[in-house]
Amino acid sequence: MASKVKLSKEADQKAVEIIAFHGYSSLEELVEDLIGKEYEKIKSGDNKEELANKLSGLGYIS
Amino acid sequence: MKRREFIKSGTALAAAAPFMNFGAGSPLGKKMLILGLDGMDPGIVNRLMARGELPNMQRLGQRGVFTMMRSTIPPQSPVAWGSFISGADPGVFGIFDFLHRDPATYFPMFSQSETLPSRMMVNLGNYRIPLKPGKVVLKREGPAFWDSLEERGIPATIFKVPTNYPPSASKQRTLAGMGTPDIQGTYGIYTLYTSDESEAQSERSPNNIYYAYIDENNVMEGQIEGPKNDLVKDGGPIVAPFKVYVDNRHKTARIDIQGKEVLIAEKEYSDWVEIDFSLIAGLASITGMVKFYLMEMGERFRLYVSPTHISPRRPAVPISTPAGYSRELADKVGLFHTIGLPADTKALSQGTFSMENYIAQSLSVFEESRRLFDYELQRFQEQEQGLLFFYFSSLDQGQHMFWALNDREHPFYHPEESRRFGYITDEMYRKFDRILGKALQGVGADTAVLAMSDHGFAPFRREVNINNWLAREGFLKLDSRDPGASIFDTADWGASRAYALGLNGLYLNLAGREREGSVAAGEKRRLLETLKGRLEALVDPKSGEQVVSCAYISEDHFSKDFISRAPDIILGFNRGFRISDDSALGTLGGDLISDNMGWWSGDHCVDPRKVPASFISSFKIQKPVPDMQDIAPTILKYFGIAAPASMTGKALI
Repeated sequence: MASKVKLSKEADQKAVEIIAFHGYSSLEELVEDLIGKEYEKIKSGDNKEELANKLSGLGYIS
Repeated sequence: MKRREFIKSGTALAAAAPFMNFGAGSPLGKKMLILGLDGMDPGIVNRLMARGELPNMQRLGQRGVFTMMRSTIPPQSPVAWGSFISGADPGVFGIFDFLHRDPATYFPMFSQSETLPSRMMVNLGNYRIPLKPGKVVLKREGPAFWDSLEERGIPATIFKVPTNYPPSASKQRTLAGMGTPDIQGTYGIYTLYTSDESEAQSERSPNNIYYAYIDENNVMEGQIEGPKNDLVKDGGPIVAPFKVYVDNRHKTARIDIQGKEVLIAEKEYSDWVEIDFSLIAGLASITGMVKFYLMEMGERFRLYVSPTHISPRRPAVPISTPAGYSRELADKVGLFHTIGLPADTKALSQGTFSMENYIAQSLSVFEESRRLFDYELQRFQEQEQGLLFFYFSSLDQGQHMFWALNDREHPFYHPEESRRFGYITDEMYRKFDRILGKALQGVGADTAVLAMSDHGFAPFRREVNINNWLAREGFLKLDSRDPGASIFDTADWGASRAYALGLNGLYLNLAGREREGSVAAGEKRRLLETLKGRLEALVDPKSGEQVVSCAYISEDHFSKDFISRAPDIILGFNRGFRISDDSALGTLGGDLISDNMGWWSGDHCVDPRKVPASFISSFKIQKPVPDMQDIAPTILKYFGIAAPASMTGKALI
């Protein structure tokens, strides 16, 4: 897979704001972090248990 | 009076009313009081009014209007109160269910807020120190009506309105309500110590059930689980140990915890007890608080410890604006529950509480809310202008749990429990009538008063697994037919056309949106209409009743702003039906439709036409049946402020 990605001007501006907001040191760090999070989401079913606990806490499921 | 006749009478009442009767004068100097009574059902109000048991609501309605109000599609509290806050339909503020889903993964996610952990950590010995704290982000979009009041210098107090955790930035006094977690980030995990060995081994996940070992000196040792310590590498939950000195002769116990001594008698609750959970000894800690409930002594010892609430005196996460508001309340009124839905419905559902125990807790929550209301009402009376909104959760939580007590057709109906406790729902309504009476006396005739709910209530007798139905009808293809499998494990997405998640949501597996979408954009409308027709034709074989009275196609009902988060179809269940626990989380298996055999026996996650909200005001309105989204523009007009463009509701005055 190519490691160079061309961003639109709009996406680039958003990336600059996200970097400033969260304190990333570079665009590479931001992209790597986001990929890691997305990968974790796909591979992990843990959040389903957490959601079940939340709905159970609200009472809507037993 | 039958429901249909009541609808007609409400319509006639409002239609016959002249236009608004607000007092003359400039918008400045005006005052408005709103009681948010979650779940107040207009049918029950009407029945009790007819018997003269709600004199204050009746008097208020005679001054202005008592009618039904349209709730949102779907009539879930986060959605309906979001509409109240935004003065708009859910498409504008972006919340459509307790659960949404991520189309990239199909996984469900919580709709109201998101926790973003700190990602800037440094390792220091055994500790991981965040350079920048994590964040909790409110996912309700757009402005709240109190922002417009703030711009005009009109003070507002917004007490525990749902769908406002964490509270949106404001200079107004706001306290977060439904959606506010406990100290562990859940919606309430309780702990039970029991000397009953079989009970101690029972599965009541995610709650903590421990065996109560009482030694020869009549001492029991226990612990309260706090938050996970993210500052320590591989850190588990922080615990606070305690000791209980049991005195069976006097039916009392003394609990020693962190240097405090708590004395309680059997069947009594303690006051709130603040507990510090140390993250780094002497440097960083988080404060929570619990109540102890000494349920039984003697032959069997049972001690309930409430979920650990965030302390309003030292909140670990933002729960109010300004930040000091929750502390002010704690200092003036005493510590109070901060979890959004404080009555422990799970404890009753799981058999930890008897109905008597649950009612005792429910009344304790009510009394605490009443004390807070008295404080805010007094403060409001001293103001020259402004708005007080005060939210009560007790009617909603009560009706969820009490419904079967008065429903002989409910599969969980217990004649004996009904004989003992069947009075409680009506009594709760009478209690709120007395609160309204006190408020009306206090505020005087020139203050506009509104008592309102977000939805009514319906029986929850039969539970429906819509994912089972989708699989049976060929809309959802599975690799496996294992009972209890989830769609995330077994769906053949390439061949699946639709799936269900949340309490009312049905999604198409849309190409270009879902990760493995199979429905082309050009097929979308026809498939939606096919599903609508087939869902509305579904009949319960047990009774012959229609199961889904209306399948709402979202694009026909919502503004476009955040419709991408919405289910493609909102399932409007008929009265008596609700989605099953399994289906809500994407699990298959079991029967398509089965009896609901639990105390959570009333619900409102149905067709909004079946559970209208209540509207009782001191002022007259121009619309026979108001809509939830009309309230915010009405408030603004009352104070002489034009509604912002984002509001899709219309002023009622």
